[in-house]
Amino acid sequence: MTVARDSAGDTAAVERSFVGDARRSLSDVMPAVGLAVAVLVVWELVVRLFGVPTFVIPAPSAIATALVESRAALMAASKATAVEVLFGFVLAAVAEIAVALVIVRFERFGKALYPLVVLFQNVPKVALAPIFILWFGYDLAPKVVLIVVIAFFPVAIDMLAGLQSVEPSFVALMQSVGASRSEILRRVRVPHSLPHLMAGLKVAITFSVIGAIVGEFAGASAGLGYVIQFASTQLDTPLVFAALVVVSVLGLFFYYLVEFAERLLVPWSPKFERMQPDQAGA
Amino acid sequence: MSIVSAPHTAPAGFLGPRSGVSAPQIVARGVAIDFVHGGVRQRVLTDIDLAIPKGSFVSLIGPSGCGKSTLLKVLAGLLRPTQGEVTVAGLAPQQAARQRMIGLVFQDATLLPWKNALENAAFLQMTGERSTARDIAVARARDMLHLVGLNGAEGKRPAQLSGGMRQRVAIARALALDPEVLLMDEPFGALDAITREEMRQCLLDIWERTGKTVVLVTHSIDEAVFLSREVHVLGDRPARIIETIAVTLPDPRTDACLTDPAFTRAEARLRALLIESHRSGRGAP
Repeated sequence: MTVARDSAGDTAAVERSFVGDARRSLSDVMPAVGLAVAVLVVWELVVRLFGVPTFVIPAPSAIATALVESRAALMAASKATAVEVLFGFVLAAVAEIAVALVIVRFERFGKALYPLVVLFQNVPKVALAPIFILWFGYDLAPKVVLIVVIAFFPVAIDMLAGLQSVEPSFVALMQSVGASRSEILRRVRVPHSLPHLMAGLKVAITFSVIGAIVGEFAGASAGLGYVIQFASTQLDTPLVFAALVVVSVLGLFFYYLVEFAERLLVPWSPKFERMQPDQAGA
Repeated sequence: MSIVSAPHTAPAGFLGPRSGVSAPQIVARGVAIDFVHGGVRQRVLTDIDLAIPKGSFVSLIGPSGCGKSTLLKVLAGLLRPTQGEVTVAGLAPQQAARQRMIGLVFQDATLLPWKNALENAAFLQMTGERSTARDIAVARARDMLHLVGLNGAEGKRPAQLSGGMRQRVAIARALALDPEVLLMDEPFGALDAITREEMRQCLLDIWERTGKTVVLVTHSIDEAVFLSREVHVLGDRPARIIETIAVTLPDPRTDACLTDPAFTRAEARLRALLIESHRSGRGAP
């Protein structure tokens, strides 16, 4: 849950630049770019000056070289990981939405189900990876299952919170004119929960990438996690870092995909409609 | 409906609210309410008797937490009384509400953020088993938005409206049901002083034009006196109606009323009653 809030804070600047003018967005990003370049330069210098072995910490230039040299392998691995993430994420989202709806619509069953969902959250799901490999083999299936299991909780809880946080007085208003439970659910609770759902989905997509990598660690013959593990057994540390860079880019890409979907689906979200003070001239 | 399109051609019975007595539209007899909290039963309202005439404007006033909102919920059919009986237009409140006889307005506008003002105002009409056809509901909602002075804001979402405008949409939504009675729970409580005064005037205009029966819960003394024909003061624990004050001010009510001796007298009397019940409330265990 904290991930959602943190990442929302991190992306605040990006969001503003999304609607702001290009010049301002550029000046927003410049400090970060400058700092990153400075860190890379220092890194490169330290590695070269002190002769740090490449298999311990590769210089940025070595990582870049690995990126270029192994680009075909990395592309293939990214594709494998991306497919896992997409399948897992979509399945997780569908399952989560279904469970949240069931808990709210069928109150009694929900009361039985909800504590179990919370209980399950306390299982360290990463530790399930070897079992899933055992059950579902080395291919796509165990990774997808692991992703569903890992990404399930944040969305289910956020969606549930959204479904249940409709103002009680509005529910009373609808009941007073004879609205049924399912009408209230369909016309008010579900749309009301969409901004919460989107916040949960942003956490879930991040978790999905983690789930895919962990799943590949546990046993795989393709994917970025497989590349990382394979390269580290070969002490090919530049390739490990190169794969890490690709994983991060992939994660960011998916994250902004969900962010983009949020803008399309819930343009009325309080997040977008809050007015920002115009301090551009100051 | 002709109410909006021809506000100046008063239909028969239009002057009902001011032309004296008619049969009471909202009746409460011996109403008592218990709250149960942690296994402990506590009576919050007792011996409530009310007879509110059709077309009247009545306020319920009392110290905060005295149960005036609870009483309004009972009248609206949102709560069942532990004892006693309530009727609205001769029906049980739940039934009356289902037949669209009761319009409700709360302190918060409770609008749907994904719908614009027009859709929000039309929403309740298209809800429940007596759902109105969309085009009729929208046309009526549009009329009501005009009535509350929101022409031109139909396409705006709640986030783009001020607090006062949102509350106007909430009132339009209640009126769009074409209810017999309008029950309002501190509808202006969250608004700033100037907006409050605007909204009071707006509410008076609406009442004069539509002749709806209005029951207003408020903790503002001057609001109660300025708007109402009758003010019921709630006090004591458990709360009951400790006094009912008839407000006799010239119609139509304007700012001039604020300096009318009758206004000052009623205000002073209410203040004394509220201070007294506030003290006794604090002294209670």
